[in-house]
Amino acid sequence: MILRNISGVKNMRKLTENILDKFSIDYLRNQVLKNAYGNDDTVIAGLDPRVLLVWYLFFGLVPWFLNDVVFLLGLFLFVVMTTKAARIAPLVLFLFCLGVFSQTGYLFIAALFFGGSLDTAAPLLVMTLKVAIVSLASITVFSGLNPDRLANGMLWFGCPGQLSFSISFAYRILPVLMEEFQNILLSYRLRGCPPKKEGFIGKIRYLGYQVKMIIQSFYPLMLNTAKRSRTTVEALELRGYRYSIQNPAVRRMKLSMLKITRADLMFIGISAVWVCADLLLSVLISR
Amino acid sequence: MNIIEIRDLTFTYPGASSPTLKHLTADIEKGDFLAVVGNNGCGKSTLCKTINGLIPHFIAGDMTGEVLVDGMNTKEQEIGTLAKKAGYVYQDFENQIVCPTVLEDASYACLNYAMEDYEAKGKEALKVCGLESKTDDYVWQLSGGQKHLLALAGTTALSPDILILDEPIAQLDPAHADGIYEVLRELNETFGKTIIVIEHHTEYITKYCKNVLLIKDGAAQWKLPAKEAMRRTEELRKCNIFPPQVAVAAERLKKEGLLSLEERLPVDIGEGVGIFAPILRKKGAVKRYTQQMAAERELTAGFENVTVTYRAVKGEPPKIFDGFSLKIGKGEKIALIGSNGAGKSTMLKLLMGLIRPEEGRVLLNGVPAADIPKEEMGRTISMVYQNPEEMFIKDSIRRDIEYAMQVRKTENYEKRTEELLEMFRLTELADRDGRLLSGGQMRRASLAVGIALNPEILLLDEPTANLDIATRREIMKTLQMLKGVTDTVVIATHDMQLVCDWAERIIVLSSGYVIADGPKEDIFADMYVRRQVGIRPPQIYDMARELGIEDSCFTIDDFTEYFRGEKYA
Repeated sequence: MILRNISGVKNMRKLTENILDKFSIDYLRNQVLKNAYGNDDTVIAGLDPRVLLVWYLFFGLVPWFLNDVVFLLGLFLFVVMTTKAARIAPLVLFLFCLGVFSQTGYLFIAALFFGGSLDTAAPLLVMTLKVAIVSLASITVFSGLNPDRLANGMLWFGCPGQLSFSISFAYRILPVLMEEFQNILLSYRLRGCPPKKEGFIGKIRYLGYQVKMIIQSFYPLMLNTAKRSRTTVEALELRGYRYSIQNPAVRRMKLSMLKITRADLMFIGISAVWVCADLLLSVLISR
Repeated sequence: MNIIEIRDLTFTYPGASSPTLKHLTADIEKGDFLAVVGNNGCGKSTLCKTINGLIPHFIAGDMTGEVLVDGMNTKEQEIGTLAKKAGYVYQDFENQIVCPTVLEDASYACLNYAMEDYEAKGKEALKVCGLESKTDDYVWQLSGGQKHLLALAGTTALSPDILILDEPIAQLDPAHADGIYEVLRELNETFGKTIIVIEHHTEYITKYCKNVLLIKDGAAQWKLPAKEAMRRTEELRKCNIFPPQVAVAAERLKKEGLLSLEERLPVDIGEGVGIFAPILRKKGAVKRYTQQMAAERELTAGFENVTVTYRAVKGEPPKIFDGFSLKIGKGEKIALIGSNGAGKSTMLKLLMGLIRPEEGRVLLNGVPAADIPKEEMGRTISMVYQNPEEMFIKDSIRRDIEYAMQVRKTENYEKRTEELLEMFRLTELADRDGRLLSGGQMRRASLAVGIALNPEILLLDEPTANLDIATRREIMKTLQMLKGVTDTVVIATHDMQLVCDWAERIIVLSSGYVIADGPKEDIFADMYVRRQVGIRPPQIYDMARELGIEDSCFTIDDFTEYFRGEKYA
């Protein structure tokens, strides 16, 4: 009996540890990295960025103009599958769910709870579905595709070279910044003296302290980054960045690596077939 | 034929009161492998930046005299033309890598200058630099040494005739340092590139370089063949460069009259054998070492069967430690060595309670480290990072040092801050931002921050990385001073000189396992361990071995002892 109790306490402690663990900066860093670099071998990541951007144009716009629940459900199912194929990090998905729920989802539940029938809930369901489809499509395109390819796709559609360079450079510098930020935060944690977190007031104050610490950490981070950038600016000059912006040949060479492959055609094909079938289904049902 | 001709060059940075380069004149031949040596701030880096056109085209300032690169005057050329002639690898090379993946970065410059075969060029450069297997990796997956090779590859891809490297091996362990220099030698001998390195390590200069250019106060003192230059021990010392240990030892023996004054000073072990062997008087033991081992000490920290895995970005989470056990006694001075990725930092983080082991326990004075509240932790254990900038969270050193004491409402913290500033010779710099100090000052300040709470255990991550030799000596002195202040100290390092001068116990880590643990005499004598982790004792140690001296010599004093007294029968 006693033994069992001990193991129960142990499990409990393990559980709280696990939850605490989830919210550490280290975990956040890992999730961001995972999202940016961990899914470069998925089907989605292999697609031509131009194809995906056009695809996004459809899935990001069309749902706003339709109100048919069956059709929207079909699209929703489809983007759920593409999101799965893009292997999105759990944290991003969690944020997505939180986002959708805070937008409209809670109204839906509230409506059901306060005696509203399914009829009153239906319009809310439509709204929630729309938001969900558009968000998932964005997640698929913007986090499934590696930023570098995305930047090239945007370059093709006529965005300036500086923008595409910024995206690609951010992609390079992100892990460096994350690590630096983590270390600075650590300096605060190790040398600082947080308030006791006993009682409700104590917990609030502890939370406030943490937030303050995170905000304060940005100041040294900025200064350290400024110090680094001196070399980066000189190196960019030596490595011909200025020339590349002026030279149209560079743009052409960069874009020549974008190629529509069979996978792209299949992706477009499947999307088109799915949408048509979905449309057909919704027409049949509504009849 | 001269590829670079510098005539009466004077350069003043904007806002500076006196010129950095003063009437400097020098010629560099095509195909040379030149080491530029000199004091900190003597103008070495500035000189190199005049060769690739950053000065005067990118960095404004007052420049007179002229620099001719391959017959072209740098003033009249575009920076792009010059960049293709002379490649530059910075000391903080990490910041010159601007693309996320390895191949992209290697071919980046070629793409920017619109070369059609940019990818092939990048691949070729990666091959020369030994990074072929990393082509598709992300930059953050590389180790420090590999990043340096990538910076080099990104520069060589443009196939410049001249390559300039600013302190290429300052942050590398000996194995990686050798790797870089082998690549440079290949580029020099096979591809006929002219290589210019700013270098402090005299062992590497003697081994790899052809000529040495000494800069003093912004002017060229002399240019000599490398070995000849290394014999000018007096002049080198004046510029804060430490001549090869064998040369210093021979010089000392000459002074004592034990070595004929006509003999040339040796600069490497091969030459040393010829000079020292005939006058060696004894080979047997001179003194005995006594060592108090961990078992007899009071235990202060311990690892019990610790297993740690890291979160992976992709694929299986890698295991750093598997059933790792270690005991650290009170008052021990431990050096933790091992190549990059062996688990040194993880071990320090476990001690700080920053990582929870999945299995096993890490104990600090008998309590699991991860259960000690962080605010109490500071009095027991403290860590100084490899990158001192990350220790500065306030806008002046004084406020950084007092921060931890202030928030804990320590009594008389102002007085203690003054004492610490005094102790680390920072009083005059107290109100400056830590980031804006020189390398050595920054380290001293970070050490002061680290011991502010008077911790029982102090952990130091690479305290001498990235410093020139003069500053390293200075930090070593500070560390010796710390011996009386902090009880238990653990240093993770690649710096074998530091290990020899300071450590009482050496722990060698290799892929998460302790492969050797003991006093320095045992560790360096173990050739298997030496090969396994690529550690290298100071030159004088190997010299003594080569001569057949039985005991280990870690200092020049130890070594010269064998040439005194009665001749050994």
